[in-house]
Amino acid sequence: MRLSYLAAELVKRPRRSIAALLSMAFGVALLLSLQAYSTGYRLAARAPLAEIGADIAAQRQGKVPVAFEGILFPHSTAPIHRDEIDAIKRIPGVEDIGESVFFWDFEADKSFLVALGLDPASTTGPARLKTALLQGRFLAPADHDVAVADATWAKDKKLSVGSRVTIAGRSLQLVGLVDTSRIGQIANANLYIPVSDARALAHAAKNVMAVHDFRADDANILFIKANQAEVDKVASAVGAILGKQALISSARSFSAVIDQAYGLVDRFGFLVGLAGLLVALVGLLRSIGSALRERRRDIGLMRAVGWSRGNVIVQLTSEAVALALAGAALGFALAESATWALSSMRVTIPVPWELSPTPHFLPGGALPMAVTIPLAARVEAGATILAFGLAILSGLLVGLWVSRRATRIRPAEVLRSE
Amino acid sequence: MLRGVSLSFEAGSFTSIMGRSGSGKTTLLHLLSALEAPTSGSIHFEGEEISGRDEDSLALWRRNHIGLVFQAFHLIPTLSALENVAFPLYPVKMAAEERRERARVRLEQVGLGHRLDHRPSRLSGGEQQRVAIARALVNRPTLILADEPTGNLDKKSGEEILAIFKRLNEEEGVAIIVITHDSTVASVARQGYSMVDGRLEEGGS
Repeated sequence: MRLSYLAAELVKRPRRSIAALLSMAFGVALLLSLQAYSTGYRLAARAPLAEIGADIAAQRQGKVPVAFEGILFPHSTAPIHRDEIDAIKRIPGVEDIGESVFFWDFEADKSFLVALGLDPASTTGPARLKTALLQGRFLAPADHDVAVADATWAKDKKLSVGSRVTIAGRSLQLVGLVDTSRIGQIANANLYIPVSDARALAHAAKNVMAVHDFRADDANILFIKANQAEVDKVASAVGAILGKQALISSARSFSAVIDQAYGLVDRFGFLVGLAGLLVALVGLLRSIGSALRERRRDIGLMRAVGWSRGNVIVQLTSEAVALALAGAALGFALAESATWALSSMRVTIPVPWELSPTPHFLPGGALPMAVTIPLAARVEAGATILAFGLAILSGLLVGLWVSRRATRIRPAEVLRSE
Repeated sequence: MLRGVSLSFEAGSFTSIMGRSGSGKTTLLHLLSALEAPTSGSIHFEGEEISGRDEDSLALWRRNHIGLVFQAFHLIPTLSALENVAFPLYPVKMAAEERRERARVRLEQVGLGHRLDHRPSRLSGGEQQRVAIARALVNRPTLILADEPTGNLDKKSGEEILAIFKRLNEEEGVAIIVITHDSTVASVARQGYSMVDGRLEEGGS
């Protein structure tokens, strides 16, 4: 292969080169843009849980409270028993579990608060709030009878660090204020307390025990961190352990409610991208095929002045591969531009009712809850390697097919002057 | 179609083969350059039969021994004069600098040292044919086969081309066979044949 001849053919016959280049660029750009769009949405679907360091939120639907007095569980947070938690821990792919106890507290003075008991030592789940501390300190593993409050709620209630809050007659000292909005819409509460205190409060609550068998070491929301390759499998296994009433939230369940267009792209995007590459292949074939007709004399001359069949095949195949690669590079640049444009889009992800902290009958409780984030579209390295690989393969196939035909040209015929 | 043709050429000879259009002279040149294979009979070069060889081996043989010059020049339009001359050397393993140097020397030899970077479209017909001759010479052939080399040129350019052939033959000992229908061209050769209806007759210059 002669690079100078190759470059001359590609640069000095621009119409043919540009046609081939554009068809390949179109195919690669389509494949990579669709992949970037799909990746953006896949990451967006993970965002609500990823913000609190989890991949799956597991709950169980239970009975509706008999009376809205004192501490009670929303009917989407029935107890998850210790043996079930232990079984979930044993599921292959489960890396960590953040155990939480979520409850509502209706005080006699008609005040209402949402509380979440969390394990301060855990890095999975709402304990991530420690990164959103505004004032005071966060909960520590040995803490009892202390709480951290959402700063907005505390301001509304005129509470500050050092104030005391009472839940079901138990007085808790406020040790810190956090900005709950920093960890999104999931696991939001007004007060965050040690999970051991939450368990004790729930176990002693009349309206919890009236409808649930809540034991001293149970939880009612599990935040599960799983191996990324096994999230869907783990979610299914958790659902199987918790039974028919299981409420499992994961990237898959969020993506199901995001956007129909995403669903289509996620399902058919790769096929559409491959179809684009097929169109590119045909474009390359047509362009290089027409070049062959244009260059019959040149090819005859190659043979006449001593080029072997192999020399001709290598030269023409190299030209096809170089065109395909240049097209792929242009397609990659176009896809990166499209991805940049896609990144300015914002995605709104509806949060399911079962993850809403507020009762629907209270002000604001019936409003639909959603997480809005920028679309983190990005062209992935794997897809880029695949696109370039397919482009090279297309170039090779087209080049070999065309050059094999070229070597059948009889120099004596094409070099005759008459 | 050629019938009963039997002839031999000496090393360093200058031969013309004259004939009208369709007389078979181009077919004879294609047979001599092994671009076509004879349906019967044989062709020998320096004592070795070449007519039975495969195409790649014949291409290699042409590269090592034969220089071809065509009436229509057949230069690659996308390459410069220098690159066109170097074209037969592209498949040969050699340093790019050596390839360029050999091409440059041949172009200077045909009086085109000042046109190295010109593409064929920027050269006159006579200059294009001189590039084609330089290309035929770049492999240091022992035999140049030229098919109507002045057919597309004006009188002056044609005379210049013939002068180059003559000089190559006399000074470098390159054997030259020119196919032509022009008696002026044939008159330059030291040996002449005529082709009539595929048959060869001695005398033609």
